[in-house]
Amino acid sequence: MKHPLLPLSETMHYILLALKEPLHGYAIMQAVEQMSEGTVILAAGTLYGAVENLSKHGWIAPVPGEMGRRKVYRITDDGERILAIERGRIEHLLSLYEMRG
Amino acid sequence: MRKRKWFADLLKEEKWLNDRLAEGYACRRIGSLGGYAFEPSDRKMVIRLDYQRQMSAEKYEEYKGTYADFGWTHLKGNRWGSVQYWQKPADGRDEIFSDAGSQVAFYKRLTHYALTTACLFFVYTCAIFNGNIFAALFDIKASYLTEGLWEKEGAAFWRAFLFETPFAMLRFLPAWIFGIAIVMSLYSYFHYLKRKKEYA
Repeated sequence: MKHPLLPLSETMHYILLALKEPLHGYAIMQAVEQMSEGTVILAAGTLYGAVENLSKHGWIAPVPGEMGRRKVYRITDDGERILAIERGRIEHLLSLYEMRG
Repeated sequence: MRKRKWFADLLKEEKWLNDRLAEGYACRRIGSLGGYAFEPSDRKMVIRLDYQRQMSAEKYEEYKGTYADFGWTHLKGNRWGSVQYWQKPADGRDEIFSDAGSQVAFYKRLTHYALTTACLFFVYTCAIFNGNIFAALFDIKASYLTEGLWEKEGAAFWRAFLFETPFAMLRFLPAWIFGIAIVMSLYSYFHYLKRKKEYA
């Protein structure tokens, strides 16, 4: 059966892509704002819930050794596999866009 | 400015709080028994209410830390499954949820919370009144235990009646309070459900 988080929502998609580099919560929001050219501005509750959800599924994980108040997260191998699946789906959609003008 | 008010519906409470803030106040403190303290504020403030289920101390610190980084001040809440009150100066980024998924998840937490509250009160009521919630609610006479009270007349009746009323109230009032709590929890349950349906 298909995973309940697939296809990825825009929020989840951007967060997974942002976490190819280690970031803490607020920095994720800033990275996503920049990557989306200001179209996706995550709010605190949405970000908290998404990070919670993604780490529950093991797609992101706290970076060990990073101390301090803020937890720093990074994408895991499972997360990368999810992105690969999504990439295939989106590339297929894009090819349909091309084919059908 | 101090106000005292009691809400079963968290969405109505949020609206009421923001209406006060729009009058030029900031919320200073929220007590546990429906007391709200406001102070005049030059900056326009906003309040948002969240509900979170019980979580570990570590998770709760992360939860509060994330909101704090976004400029929210924690007014009230604990980690044992409670409403979380957040306030910040209005700056255009005044929501705590930015997509439909997290908004729906929030309403789901709320419906679960309201239904659990209603069930808990129902179970308490049944336990306390030996399962006979309707007798406890509507047979108020049965709460008066003085023998022959209802056969007395005139001053003798009133003396005995008024003397026992405080004790009788101890017997029937909890049933009424619990009954109201059940109805209000169910009412907010349907309100949350309606709002949830607007999203998904």
